[in-house]
Amino acid sequence: MTFFLQLIVTGVAVGSIYALAALGFVLIYKSSRVINFAQGELIAIGAFITYGLTVWAGLNIWLSLAIAIGLMYLLGQGIERVFLRPMIGEPIISVIMVTIALASVLSGLVYFTPFGTLTARFPSYLPDTPLRFGGIVLRWEHLVGILLTVIFISVLLWFFTRSTLGIAMRAVADDQMASLSVGVSIEKVFALAWAAAAMSATAAGFVVGSLYGLELAGLIAIGLRVFPVVILGGLDSIAGAIVGGITIGILEQLASGYLDQYVPGGGTGEVFPFVILIVLLLFKPYGLFGTKEIERV
Amino acid sequence: MAVNRWIQSGNYRRNYKEDQTIFATFSEQASLVVLIILLFLVPYAPFMSRSLFRLFDLVLIYTVAVMGLNIVTGFAGQISIGHAAFMGVGAYAAATITRDLAVPLLGFADAVPFWYVLLLLPVSGLIAATAGAFVGLPSFRLKHLYLAIATLAFQIIFTWSVGHTPWLKQGGSIRVPRVEFFGEIIRGSSAIGPFFYYFGLVVVIVMALAFRNLLRSKFGRALVAVRDNDRAADAMGINPGATKVMAFAIGGFYAGVAGALLAFYNGSVIVESFSLAISIDFLAMAIIGGLGTLVGSLIGPVFLQFLDPWVEQLADLVQWVMPSTIDVGTAMRPSVFGIIIVLFLIFEPRGLANWWRLLRQYFKRWPFKF
Repeated sequence: MTFFLQLIVTGVAVGSIYALAALGFVLIYKSSRVINFAQGELIAIGAFITYGLTVWAGLNIWLSLAIAIGLMYLLGQGIERVFLRPMIGEPIISVIMVTIALASVLSGLVYFTPFGTLTARFPSYLPDTPLRFGGIVLRWEHLVGILLTVIFISVLLWFFTRSTLGIAMRAVADDQMASLSVGVSIEKVFALAWAAAAMSATAAGFVVGSLYGLELAGLIAIGLRVFPVVILGGLDSIAGAIVGGITIGILEQLASGYLDQYVPGGGTGEVFPFVILIVLLLFKPYGLFGTKEIERV
Repeated sequence: MAVNRWIQSGNYRRNYKEDQTIFATFSEQASLVVLIILLFLVPYAPFMSRSLFRLFDLVLIYTVAVMGLNIVTGFAGQISIGHAAFMGVGAYAAATITRDLAVPLLGFADAVPFWYVLLLLPVSGLIAATAGAFVGLPSFRLKHLYLAIATLAFQIIFTWSVGHTPWLKQGGSIRVPRVEFFGEIIRGSSAIGPFFYYFGLVVVIVMALAFRNLLRSKFGRALVAVRDNDRAADAMGINPGATKVMAFAIGGFYAGVAGALLAFYNGSVIVESFSLAISIDFLAMAIIGGLGTLVGSLIGPVFLQFLDPWVEQLADLVQWVMPSTIDVGTAMRPSVFGIIIVLFLIFEPRGLANWWRLLRQYFKRWPFKF
């Protein structure tokens, strides 16, 4: 029983990281209907910038996280400006292929830096002894992940319900043509969505980096884990990203807890979410909270 | 009416039967014959070296795969990021059928006869087609481009499962016997002769003809209709879901044939040849060549494969100014390929096939501009 509960608790903690990574993805999809295949690279770059600032520039880790989030805001805006802006008005299929190419370019650029072959950890900034509740262990890094997710979600909630720009974003998500006609700048909204995606990716990358260490392939793999999350939650639902993230996190932990012994080499946790993804697409394609599209001919 | 067929300047189609011909003009037919003869003469060219042979052989194999991707992405309008995995299914099917069925049952020693390879290519293709149809199944209920995610999931599941199955040597190299062609054992990539070049060329020609034929059939036009407007297609009695599933199956078939060909060519199967990066390379080839045209899927692989050595040379140059801890080789390829895809998507979404078309028209109309 303790084993089961432990898996659930770890699953929630890991899932909150996925939710964090998926937030940005959902924002981009919501505002522009673009499936962003470069989320994993954004996670990696965000984590590496934080690492560079702490280790090489010797800054405090929280300060460097804040600076990294700021820099990634600029990078997100820049990506939108250079890669996505020329594609406005083009068919969505081309835009999605641009994000696939973008993923390729970004990972190539990381290989040009020393980070491409880096395997490192953040200098320890949290107590080494994990929290214990009865027999259940919770690492401090997991706690940081959950906290960051809560912070990001509350900021987003405030942003979408209270600020003008947030309401404009919701308007664009609802109806592009109508929001254009009342003077909302679609370009600005898209750029903001990409910037927000890059920022939440940085937070996710920071937590992943402190949990599992920094390594390009591993960080990108976390980015791919976003897809099962958003398919489960529904591609255009923020609540779905959170519920989906936590569910996928729990299922993944359960899979690696109970199924690994039957598989040579283990590692079922890496693939189980994708099996769920395929099954979901067959039986519940719009996820838990996604907008069902009803078309009549 | 006596017409000089050599200076025909356009299409004068007067009935449906003429509209459905494979070749638009006589000169197109003639130039294709010349091109094929030239291609058959390439191995005798004085400049052919071993590395150039390998390049040509790979181009031919990839061309088959890219044609399949073009059916899925260019004609059915669905992105596939798992095309290398379909190719892998074909390659592993060929390798395991040979190892576990053919060798023990038919008693091949260290080479398999040519007829067996000819038989195995479509079989591997069909197995990959089944995988393709399965991945395409959600399109019965889904619209839009969600399916791209399903293909990505398939790619990940494929790589993972191969890496965790002892039967498939956990992704390590599985040996595939050499091909015996009229008493001569072809030693594949290790001693390259023209055998695989000719074999690949014939396969490409057959598959390209099938492709062209498919497009003028009812199904081919249904594909284009579904891509352009699936609601309108639905209203006209085409089932968009079934059409997309079929497109995925056919795309899988092409990939599977290419995979089996690659298995026999390399004499071994290894999971690294079917990674996500290769899938993205295929997508690059299809985009750069030109989506939605047959010519595009013939030009794209040539262009990218011949670009590859240049990128390597460029990487060596850059390595010179970079610290030695940075591996410019692994950095250069994804960046350059990615940037080329983006540039083509932004500035020439119709790909190199469009330049080819413009060039042809220029010569056709010469000396007039219009």
